[in-house]
Amino acid sequence: MTKAENGTDSTVMVTLRGIHKSFADNHVLKGVSLSVNQGEVLVIMGASGSGKTTLLRCINYLERPNEGEITVGGFTVRGGRAPKRDILVLRRKTAMVFQHYNLFANKTALENVLLGQTVARKTPKEQARELSLRLLERVGLADKINAYPSELSGGQQQRVGIARALALNPDVVLFDEPTSALDPELVGEVLDTIKSIAAEGITMIVVTHEMSFAREVASRVLFMDEGAVIEEGEPQEIFTRPREERTKKFLRRISADWDYNI
Amino acid sequence: MFFDLDFALKSFPEVLGGVPMTLLVTATSILLGFALGFLIYSLQARKRRWLTALCRLYVSVVRGTPLLVQLYIVYFAVPPLLHTLSQRYGLPLKVADIPPLAYALTAFTINTSAYMSELIRSALSSVEAGQMEAAQSVGMSAWQSYRLIILPQAFVEAIPNIGNMFLGLIKGTSLVYTVKLVEVMARAKVLAAYGLRYIEVYLVASLIYWGLSICFEILFKKLEQVLRVGSRKLKAI
Ligand SMILES: Nc1ncnc2c1ncn2[C@@H]1O[C@H](COP(=O)(O)OP(=O)(O)OP(=O)(O)O)[C@@H](O)[C@H]1O
Ligand SMILES: [Mg+2]
Repeated sequence: MTKAENGTDSTVMVTLRGIHKSFADNHVLKGVSLSVNQGEVLVIMGASGSGKTTLLRCINYLERPNEGEITVGGFTVRGGRAPKRDILVLRRKTAMVFQHYNLFANKTALENVLLGQTVARKTPKEQARELSLRLLERVGLADKINAYPSELSGGQQQRVGIARALALNPDVVLFDEPTSALDPELVGEVLDTIKSIAAEGITMIVVTHEMSFAREVASRVLFMDEGAVIEEGEPQEIFTRPREERTKKFLRRISADWDYNI
Repeated sequence: MFFDLDFALKSFPEVLGGVPMTLLVTATSILLGFALGFLIYSLQARKRRWLTALCRLYVSVVRGTPLLVQLYIVYFAVPPLLHTLSQRYGLPLKVADIPPLAYALTAFTINTSAYMSELIRSALSSVEAGQMEAAQSVGMSAWQSYRLIILPQAFVEAIPNIGNMFLGLIKGTSLVYTVKLVEVMARAKVLAAYGLRYIEVYLVASLIYWGLSICFEILFKKLEQVLRVGSRKLKAI
């Protein structure tokens, strides 16, 4: 059985159960479970190599989990050998914002936002175009709709990436370090955009090391280490009174980096 | 007189008359070679070990032997083969009816396909993996991702190499006179032997090949410029 209705709690948007992932003999995810309610912003932090990107990519099956179960918006896909059709359905319930933007290089900003709707979701062209224009305006790029990615700054590209994700009207948006490839002066514009869409109640899972962002926007923060969740809690709680030694160490290190940056 | 300008000028239109055949062989082999090359590439990508090995062998043999030898093999091997087949199965095939063009196109298509399969592979791998991932993340099927995102970008990357291949083939067609196909070189040879004026006629032939090469070089440059519009400044970033 690969499909199941999640009838018990209608407010749960994403559930992961026991996700395992190995690359050859490198056991990267060691049974990760989590759940995200509708409208929540879950921030994932953790040392480099702890498996954050891999976890995020498992949620939309860009990476095939070896074991475990993924439920998004009531639709469940198992790890191992999932049918192509199910993977496609899962992908059409999620959207991803990439660290390196990954805008379609041969398409304009508008086309980037439009394509997912018209091609993958068969939204009528006029309706899709209207929504795309509205979203590009929302992210402050109304004057750049006909620009190609190569003609945009990193911050602008990432905002197109966010509009592209929102255009899909997904059950959850997955962000993988959306600002870490940006020049420092461009980080703010992208974080502000993410904050504003978070305020609209869009369910998000965000991998980031931006402490102030997490403090302000996160409903919950989750720490990963060596492929497992080590600690989880509300931002105030977890940043001021971390229980785990590894969490403390990690927080000391990123706040030290933070100090040096200033 | 060492150089008979008058003879050269008079033979010019005659040799030029071979250009359509030269271009016909070149363009057709590129197109058919592309199709066959794509087939070879996709068989190779199937990850069946024996299929991959077979394709590798094919590519290696074809790339490792001279075009002229391939042309001869097709020319001398196909007729007896067809003859045997038609006798055994009583097919109404007459070997003598096979036009020289068929031999030329067969050999050139085989030759081009081997290079094309490699070209297609490198063009596809030049497109960043992130493009495919983004396409999948918005819910496109594999075919939609290839058609809309990957292939257009790969094609632009491939244009300079396809251009080089095209220029190489134009010059390569100067071998097809050996299978009795009349194009630029064949016409030049006949004229030269007839008038015993070799330098003049071959110089004319050279100019024609050179002119063709320049035209197509410009054409491919333009094509690339027009199609690259979406990634104009990508290299600069
Ligand atoms: N495609 C892959 N093939 C092989 N190993 C991989 C692959 N992707 C990730 N890994 C390995 O999985 C482990 C976790 O990588 P991952 O990218 O998920 O870490 P991360 O927490 O996102 O790190 P960072 O903070 O540096 O982005 C690493 O050891 C990495 O080498
Ligand atoms: Mg990562």
